[in-house]
Amino acid sequence: MISNIVLTTGLLLILIGLWGVLTHRNILRVIIGFSLFGTGTHIVIVAIGYVTNGTAPILDRTLPMSEAISRVVDPIPSALVVTAIVIGMAVTAVMLAYTIRLYDSKKTLSIDALMESKW
Amino acid sequence: MIRSLFTILAIVLLGAVFATIAIGYSEQQSLRPLAESYVQLVPRDLGAANVVTGILLPYRAFDTLGEVAVLFMVAASVGLILGAGHRRPEERGEDVQEAARPSSEIVQTGSQILAPLISIFAAYIIMNGHLSAGGGFQGGAVIASCVLLILLTYPEHQINVAFLSIAESLAGALFVLTGIIGLIAAGGFLDNHILPLGQFGAFFSAGAIPILSVLLGVKVGCELSVILDRFRPQP
Amino acid sequence: MMELVGSILILAGAAFHFSAGLGMLRMPDAYTRMQAGTKATTLGNTLLLAGLAFYHPGWSPKLLIIAYFVLMTNPVSSHALARAAYSIGIPMFGGSGIDALRDRDRKLRSET
Repeated sequence: MISNIVLTTGLLLILIGLWGVLTHRNILRVIIGFSLFGTGTHIVIVAIGYVTNGTAPILDRTLPMSEAISRVVDPIPSALVVTAIVIGMAVTAVMLAYTIRLYDSKKTLSIDALMESKW
Repeated sequence: MIRSLFTILAIVLLGAVFATIAIGYSEQQSLRPLAESYVQLVPRDLGAANVVTGILLPYRAFDTLGEVAVLFMVAASVGLILGAGHRRPEERGEDVQEAARPSSEIVQTGSQILAPLISIFAAYIIMNGHLSAGGGFQGGAVIASCVLLILLTYPEHQINVAFLSIAESLAGALFVLTGIIGLIAAGGFLDNHILPLGQFGAFFSAGAIPILSVLLGVKVGCELSVILDRFRPQP
Repeated sequence: MMELVGSILILAGAAFHFSAGLGMLRMPDAYTRMQAGTKATTLGNTLLLAGLAFYHPGWSPKLLIIAYFVLMTNPVSSHALARAAYSIGIPMFGGSGIDALRDRDRKLRSET
């Protein structure tokens, strides 16, 4: 039940991000749409690894080694998403650097000024 | 008109595919075999209490090394795009003294309280990578946010970018060196048996994982700080 | 009994968060939107953490530190944003006609 709700939220975020990328004319709003798209994908990946009535895969006093297998959520999707978040932030930084250079040369933030290769 | 029709068509079709996924999904009842073997192996073989860090550092170490390489490439490309000396305010026709308005007293007082707190929190997250939730990447991102706070509060203050670049390169080189030592002295590349495993759950345990976490944290933090520093207007 | 009090506090916090979202949609200009976003969400966060402290009394010191951190960062960041918005010239709604910062700057400049 929980992972169904989280999965639906992640898929909705992907759809909203995609709509934002395709529709807006302002570059900054397109970049925000990309960031939403990435966040939705991370949420979907984490939601797939949920085991019913499971808890976090950290062993301490309340979760000894012997019963760890039966009570723990899948740790592999979490490990993948940890690095994916940092890389998503770095790619957003590159997109914003491109935006600064484009604004310096075209003096506007609208993507209608970038139609040089359109036939 | 045609474009918005295509947009709506794309979103509706993709929504239909997603709805099929979301309706037909049922929760897992027990762990898959690979995850089960990881959860069993990490406490016994590595001595780490946090299974996610145990997967990231010794078992999937090549993924971590590849991500460090991707971050370095991103820092180099941001440095190339926003290279030196082409964004002078006089050329853009703006008023020069509007470019560096000093921050108000509330922000300066707030950052004087917050910057030590954030630094201690970042060090805590890095050092607790193997015991509780945390690790190198997360702590490095928090270090970069502390540097961003100082950059925003004192806009005339020049950060020592040379020191940050040298620290970042040194941390990356030591990371690969530790991996090669693991190749010589223990099981494989970036293996953590080169240091004794210690008692399970103690602060200095799990072999070389704390050292690798610290090196990763320093590298990621300095890298993101250099990226943030490039976005300032060049005087 | 403790769980009932905690649940009521969490519900009140969620109601304040909802009013913050509603205010950000309906307010006329950027400054009033920032005010709606900051004040209501800070109070909503504090009420949420207080309700959680009633659920798990052993977590109270950690929740107190989190509440202190939220109280330190949220108003300071919104103040910095509003100042930056004023200095690049985002227009005000003008319904009240009062602009305290412009009056203070004019007074400072006429004194020096």
